[in-house]
Amino acid sequence: MALKIEKTFAVQEPVEKVWEFLSDPRKVATCVPGAQITEQLDEKTYKGAIKGKVGPSVTDYTGDVQIVRLDPENHEIEILGKGQDVRGRGSASMKLTGKLRALPDGSTEVTSVSEIGVVGILAQMGSRVITEVSNIMFGQFTKNFQALLQQPAEAPAGQAAASAEVAPIKATSVAWQAAKGVFRKKS
Amino acid sequence: MIHKTSLEIGGMGHPIKRKEDLRFIQGKGNYVDDVHLPGMVYGQLVRSPYAHARLKSVNTEKAKKLPGVLAIITGEDLAKANLAWMPTLSYDKQMVLATGKVLFQSQEVAFVVAEDRYTAADAAELVEVEYEELPVLVDPKKAMDPDAPLLREDREQKDNHIFHWEVGDRQATEQVFQKAAVKASVHAFFPRCHPAPLETCGCVADFNRATGKLTVYMTSQAPHAHRTVFALVGGIPEQNIRVISPDIGGGFGNKVPVYPGYVCAIVASLTLGVPVKWIETRSENLQSTGFARDYHMTAEIAADRDGKMQALRVKTLADHGAFNAAAQPTKFPAGLFSICTGSYEYSQAFCEVDGVYTNKAPGGIAYRCSFRVTEAAYLIERVVDVLALELKMDPAELRRKNFIPESKFPYKSSLGWTYDSGNYEGAMKLALDKIGYAELRKEQAEKRKKGQLMGIGISSFTEIVGAGPAHTFDILGIKMFDSCEIRIHPTGKAIARMGTKSQGQGHETTYAQIVAQELGIPAADVAIEEGDTDTAPYGLGTYASRSTPTSGAATAIAARKIREKAKKIAAYLLECSENDLEWEPGKFFVKGAPSKSKTIQEIAFAAYTNIPPGLEAGLEAVDYYDPPNLTFPFGTYVCVVDIDKGTGEVKVRRFVAVDDCGNIINPMIVEGQIHGGLTEGMAIAFMQQIDYDESGNVQGGSFQDYLIPTAVETPHWETDKTCTPSQHHPFGAKGVGESPNVGSPAAFVNAVVDGLSHLGVKHIDMPIAPWKVWNILKEKGVTS
Repeated sequence: MALKIEKTFAVQEPVEKVWEFLSDPRKVATCVPGAQITEQLDEKTYKGAIKGKVGPSVTDYTGDVQIVRLDPENHEIEILGKGQDVRGRGSASMKLTGKLRALPDGSTEVTSVSEIGVVGILAQMGSRVITEVSNIMFGQFTKNFQALLQQPAEAPAGQAAASAEVAPIKATSVAWQAAKGVFRKKS
Repeated sequence: MIHKTSLEIGGMGHPIKRKEDLRFIQGKGNYVDDVHLPGMVYGQLVRSPYAHARLKSVNTEKAKKLPGVLAIITGEDLAKANLAWMPTLSYDKQMVLATGKVLFQSQEVAFVVAEDRYTAADAAELVEVEYEELPVLVDPKKAMDPDAPLLREDREQKDNHIFHWEVGDRQATEQVFQKAAVKASVHAFFPRCHPAPLETCGCVADFNRATGKLTVYMTSQAPHAHRTVFALVGGIPEQNIRVISPDIGGGFGNKVPVYPGYVCAIVASLTLGVPVKWIETRSENLQSTGFARDYHMTAEIAADRDGKMQALRVKTLADHGAFNAAAQPTKFPAGLFSICTGSYEYSQAFCEVDGVYTNKAPGGIAYRCSFRVTEAAYLIERVVDVLALELKMDPAELRRKNFIPESKFPYKSSLGWTYDSGNYEGAMKLALDKIGYAELRKEQAEKRKKGQLMGIGISSFTEIVGAGPAHTFDILGIKMFDSCEIRIHPTGKAIARMGTKSQGQGHETTYAQIVAQELGIPAADVAIEEGDTDTAPYGLGTYASRSTPTSGAATAIAARKIREKAKKIAAYLLECSENDLEWEPGKFFVKGAPSKSKTIQEIAFAAYTNIPPGLEAGLEAVDYYDPPNLTFPFGTYVCVVDIDKGTGEVKVRRFVAVDDCGNIINPMIVEGQIHGGLTEGMAIAFMQQIDYDESGNVQGGSFQDYLIPTAVETPHWETDKTCTPSQHHPFGAKGVGESPNVGSPAAFVNAVVDGLSHLGVKHIDMPIAPWKVWNILKEKGVTS
């Protein structure tokens, strides 16, 4: 199952500061609910893990995260993540393209395009559920990302944001919110 | 005509209540999951998340450490016992537990056995399987492409082609087409659907080390055939295997194949020496067991300008999934699809089918259908409507013009079947009169002027059921006869056992009515027992509407054998010659002296207490019935739909079903069968599909996505009948259980297409969900 999610949001920080975070997968990962960078393999490749629980399905993906393209001049980054569930319940991949644009008021517009591929038990839930789950995760990511940017600069970023975010996404809440999302569309 | 017995006897034609319902409605049925044996443990399958992947390792260490886990069986373990693969019913083989690679999502990879079901499920989660993903093939049209991934590396043939099968005269048909004035064609996809029986599949395997006897309680529509398969595959002496099919909560073909779960439970019980229960979850049932259909079909009809059909040509691509596990007779890789000529006469016909492998669950089975008859009936009834559009002719009129006339039966079809009997025009006339066809067409014309959408769909189907004659029909070499053994007790009561197995059809009632009809013993006094291979005579089971045509016939013949012996006893008791006796249901009497009589009960008592010299004691008989031909039930269904222009929603306003299944055993049971089958047919037409995404993920793997019709969606069914008895069946019956599922999809689709035909719509593939109709309306500018 493949789906594409495009999101645009603004953060009240200058573009260079935002870029500093966005271009570092270790920092980005701390904002993704349930995600963690466990090891840096080389300059552009990391080992990572992401845990999720959607309804009855627990997934625990481990895999590689790679920076495919880094363009500091245009503030563009392309990250490719691929993982397999440790219990052999499936695999997932995500190609994330992030782009920053300085806005006249000094804030920054973040545009992201995620192409997500899911194979396995999770994929059976169908795109309507997965899209909703992704929306919820993305909402949390945005919040975490903004919170991280507002941390005092001297605090070690990873530590500051890593407080709660490594814990897996909450089972019931995600399933419930996803269900609400699905039904909301119908009414 | 069948002589009607008294209500007390309750022979054929009486709408007596179903005997089995007394326990079912009280929740006192005994299904496989109700079987609890001392020391019983539970199995759980570990399944593949991938549709196509190399199996790199299966690590069971963590799972084994969980307290309560007794054993974990992997494909490698089975391979050591030469059991990693098993034969299918179609001369292919299928993996029991995967070795090397997996070929469909939810394929069986390992079997965990634990003290209770929850531990087994938890342990299955702890089994760590490492996969390497391979390119996935989901589109059967790409299966034969040179760059298509090769799925079955185990086969000598290095491509994804399973079989090519053809029947009819290709050249002669081609010649008719070349000269034809009018041609109509349709590409119709009959989507993959699933019977989804209320009870999923499962078993309890109980191997007794002391006696060496294996008892398997299982959800089997064909217990004897399964016993023989277990004996051949497992090497267990057949007398040491007892298969018991207890009450079964719906089968519809889904419980014909042998599934890996059964084999794993048996292996586990043999290994551990304790009973092992394995029961599927709903999703396991939908994702891994026998699906139905998945036929990509093209039909073309050649006709003259007056609408006389001249030839039919059919080309089909059959998606069988990862293994050809189709349950069908040996000589027919596409089942009885060659009934696709339907109810019509042509000089020539030609039909070809190619089967291919894809990364999908293996199959397919005949879902409430006699081996691909549903696909055939749907296709012909669809293309006839397309021809009617082409000719600008009323679809009822076109059918009437081309029906095989009543006078021509028995009729040999251009694809080789000999139809036993039929009166197609009679059934259609009754259906059209009942629904008020002429008025409806007027209403439709007026509504169209106002921009409102309504459609009328007709399906005048012919089935081919009751497989079948031994000269043509076998499954894995076993001929497709079926059997009945009747024993009359001294007090005149009886027990009868058959090789078939009811899954809800009401056999305990209908077979008893046949005995009642033939011997005059009240149906209430006749116990029917099926499903225990240690007691029932051998038979091939219940599917393909074969129970009445085969075991039903055997029951009548066995009863007649008993009546012959009863006559000898009666003559002895009445001190007269056999030739002086006459029979009426329940007694023999002396011709011209009706008061001098002996009831069947008196005769039965004498068979054990006052035996005529030279005659064996007892009163019993067995019959193995080899039908001389198949039977050909038929009917006409008419459906009226209203289509919501704003939402694309289709509402079935009326549905009239006229069925002809020959002589009827129990009209109430027939009506129930029709209601159930129509409801399933409606779900197939509008709601259901087991779809796959491009990675081979099942998109209809739970009831969240695979919709089951409820009373809310189900319209009011209006049923009626005509009666054209089979000329070769002992009591003129034909079988009816599948007619509504076979005949109705075309009626629904024809109705929707008819409602949109003035917009240029010629065909819509099932399931016709509102979004599909809405898209069409949008494209045609009818809705914004």
